[in-house]
This record gives sequence, structure tokens and C-alpha cells, in this order.
Amino acid sequence: MTVPPPVLTATNIRKSFGDREVLAGISLEAREGEVISILGGSGSGKSTFLRCLNLLEVPDEGQIAIGDVQAPLTRNRHGRLEVSDGRAAARLRTQTAMVFQGFNLWPHLTVLQNVMEAPLRVHRRDRDEVLATARSLLERVGMAGFHAAYPKRLSGGQQQRVAIARALATNPKLVLFDEPTSALDPERVREVLALMRSLAEEGRTMIVVTHEMAFARDVSSRVVHLMNGRVESSGPPAHMFGPDASPAFRAFLSPAAL
Amino acid sequence: MGEHLTFIGSVTAQLVRAVPVTLLILAVSGVCATVLATGLTAMSVARSPLPRLIQRTWTFLFRGTPLILQIFMIYYGFAMVPWIRHGLLWAAFRDPVFCTCLAMTCCCSAYIAEIFRGALAAVPRGEIEAGRACGMTGFLLLRRVIAPSLIRIALPSYSNEIIMMTKSTSLASTITVLDITGVAQQVIAHSYRTLDVFCAAAALYLLINATLSTLLTALERRLDVDRAPTPLAPIPPTLEPLS
Ligand SMILES: Nc1ncnc2c1ncn2[C@@H]1O[C@H](COP(=O)(O)OP(=O)(O)O)[C@@H](O)[C@H]1O
Ligand SMILES: [Mg+2]
Repeated sequence: MTVPPPVLTATNIRKSFGDREVLAGISLEAREGEVISILGGSGSGKSTFLRCLNLLEVPDEGQIAIGDVQAPLTRNRHGRLEVSDGRAAARLRTQTAMVFQGFNLWPHLTVLQNVMEAPLRVHRRDRDEVLATARSLLERVGMAGFHAAYPKRLSGGQQQRVAIARALATNPKLVLFDEPTSALDPERVREVLALMRSLAEEGRTMIVVTHEMAFARDVSSRVVHLMNGRVESSGPPAHMFGPDASPAFRAFLSPAAL
Repeated sequence: MGEHLTFIGSVTAQLVRAVPVTLLILAVSGVCATVLATGLTAMSVARSPLPRLIQRTWTFLFRGTPLILQIFMIYYGFAMVPWIRHGLLWAAFRDPVFCTCLAMTCCCSAYIAEIFRGALAAVPRGEIEAGRACGMTGFLLLRRVIAPSLIRIALPSYSNEIIMMTKSTSLASTITVLDITGVAQQVIAHSYRTLDVFCAAAALYLLINATLSTLLTALERRLDVDRAPTPLAPIPPTLEPLS
């Protein structure tokens, strides 16, 4: 059995805001088809880490590669890392997609326009192809009837499903999810999780920050527990949710049991 | 009574002939101030400190001094400067309409830039991040994500500023321009029927501003996606999930 190639390689990522060290050296590799769940308490740096991966946040230290393309991070004359080539950084981002807790659809565009925007304007793909892809994606996320609606008119769950269609529209190598269900009503959580599970089953490479333990246990191939800016423990869900998991992670899972 | 109506009719006809002058000043300074304000807004978020300082100084100077003084300084003051008086620019600076437009452009650009700056700060960060996350940069991000939101946020205050500008054009009359107010004062000097003439002039300003505000409100409604007609197909009547 051959090991699939890595889609993401992040090495020793560090990030501080002022005096507060949020990421104290995190490494993560995601291979093709892997679904990695990142768990951790609030404020443990999950979002910051995810945002470093697509350079929305510039790490203080570390290296990031998507496929075999290295992120254009170089040290400036004060010794701080910075994005040395904005275009290269943008090109790297075109290989990834992000789904946000707050959906972040563009309110002045219709559902269909939201989904078509990146492949059309950023990737400059053929309009007919983009339209066909967008329609089939909207079909897939169960939003085909809403293509002409504006995001404001949709429920949270509907907006998040559109946002997922938008993320898939460019056929990215890696999809980053930052607590995609945390802003949703409980009934809506299920429809979004079901969709994400189907993406995992078709072999999408995904990194998912979540508080949905059932999703982490049943869908992901690996679970990573962040604590105090470090990977406290990680492993396949069978291990992480089994009796041999680290005490800190078990405490995180059921704080009441301590 | 009949004579009164005839007088108002003839005054109105005279004032209407001055409307193009008022509209010209408004259009030129409105367009120039908006363009300049866009540049100032860009400077206000520049990475290097110099453009930011220029923007802040510009706002400080032109927002902090009366427009009428700015008009006087440009029209009367610059005439005292030898290199302007005898330079190539004199043809422009001896023209009071030009001087009014220049002063209004400078002054109103400071106000409009503040409106744009506030709107820019109010564009939801998440929308911009969604654009950056899918690889948008620079002008594409500005044109497709930032500007559409910024314009919608800025439009009510911007409309208000344009209405204020319409009224400010009347200051041109203080430096001999025969705009609506200038002609009104001229007619009063001959007829002494102050109230009638000013009422007729005021009615014209009201008409201009009512038209402008109707147009701008129509634009606002058009840009409001909750009211806009759907571009592709009717939205299904029930917005329930399909599954
Ligand atoms: N832009 C920022 N400036 C300053 N502090 C920040 C910024 N972003 C995040 N932080 C801080 O970093 C810590 C980790 O934040 P975050 O990555 O959002 O955590 P999580 O997503 O795990 O809840 C928090 O204490 C937060 O206040
Ligand atoms: Mg977070």
C-alpha cells in the first residue's frame, strides 16, 4: 500500500500576539484524503493555527507547504517572518478553501454568484464550465432552488451549505473548516455535518476545527488536541476516544468526570 | 396682484437661466471631490506613514476652516501671488467659477473621504477574509468585495453630503459668479423685492435637491439586495430547506 502524498505540511508554527504566545510550535501534516479534526478549549489557538495555514495570519516562525509548493515566507531585516511575495501567497490560497464559523458569504451577490465568483474571477475558468459546476454543487448541498436568493434571506444552515459549495467550487486541494457548525441552531447542525461527512467520504482533504465530538470520532482520520499552543496529543480517533488517550484530552472531553 | 405674478414669473425665468451655472459647479466639484476622496481614503489605509499624514492634514485643514474663506483665499489671495498672477495658471485662477470648484473640491473631498473611511472600517472583516482566503488580492478584492459593501454603507451619508454641496454652491455668488443666488442678488439690487426673489431662488434649490435626493434614494434601493429584482429566477416562495 502506498502512502498518499502530503497536501499540507506545516512545520513548527509559532505565533504570538503581543506578549501572548498563542502557537508555541505546531507541526501538522495532512495527506491526501485525510480528515483531521482539531480539538481544544476556547482560546487555545485553533483558529489562529488554521488561519496561518492559508496565510490569513502570518506566523512568527515556521514553514508551510501546500503540495510541494512552499509558502513564500521570508525573514525581514528585523528577523520577523513576512509574506515576501503577495502574488505567490495568493496563488497558494487558490489551492485551498476556507469555511468560516460566520459563513462570510458576500451579501451583494446571489447564492449562485457567490459560488461562481472565485473560479470565474480568480481562476479565470470558462464561464459555462463554472456555471455547470456551480449548479451541480448547489444541487449537491441541497440549495439548487435558491440560486437566485441573496444570503441575507437564508437561514444559517442554508448559508453554511452555500459557503461549502463556494469552497468546493474551485476544486481545492485542501478545505479548512473553522467551527462550521458553532453558529447554527441544533437542527441545522445536523444538515451541515451530514454534508461534511459526505465530503470526507468522497476523499476530500479537510482540516476541521470543531466541537462536534461525534464528527471527530466517526468521520476524521486523525484527531489533534491543541492545548497551550502545542499539540498536546494526537492520533486516530479509535485511540483518542479510547481508554489509552492522554489524561489531558480525556479531561477535555469530560471535564465533569474529573 | 396680476403685476405681482408677472414679476415672480419673470424673476423665475431669469433665475432658471442661472441653474446651469449652479449645476456646473455642483457637477464638477462633486465629481472631483469624490475622486479625490477616493484617493485620500486609499492614503488613509496606506502602510507607510507619509500618505496617512497627508490625508490627516488635508482633513484637518479643509474640514477645519470655513469654505467661504477657502474660496476667498483662492480667488482673491492667489491673485496676489506673482507667479500665479503672471504664470500659465492665471487664466484659470482669474475665473471665479474655477476657483469655487477648486475650493469646493478640496473642502468636500475632506468630508467625503471621512465618509468613505468610516464605511471602509464598517465593511465586515469576514467578507474581506473570504475574498482573501480564495486568493483574491488588490484591485480584484477591492472591486468585487470591498467596494460593493463600502458603497452601500456610505451611500446615505454621501447623499447627504451632495445635498450640502448643492447649497454650498451659492457661496460662488460672493465672488461675482452669477449662479442662482448671484442672479437673485442682482435682481434684488434693481427691484428691492427681496422676499419674492429669495423665495423663488429657494424654490429652485429645493427642486434641485428634491431631484438629487430622489435619484440617490433610487440608487440606494437598487443596491439594496433585499429589494432588488432577482437577476436569474424567482426565489421560491418558501425558504425552507429542501431536504
Ligand atoms: N488578531 C489578534 N490579536 C490579538 N490577539 C488575538 C488575535 N487573534 C486571536 N488572538 C488571541 O489568541 C488566542 C487564541 O485565539 P483563537 O486562535 O481564536 O482561539 P480558538 O479558535 O482556539 O478559540 C486568544 O486568546 C485570542 O484572544
Ligand atoms: Mg476559533
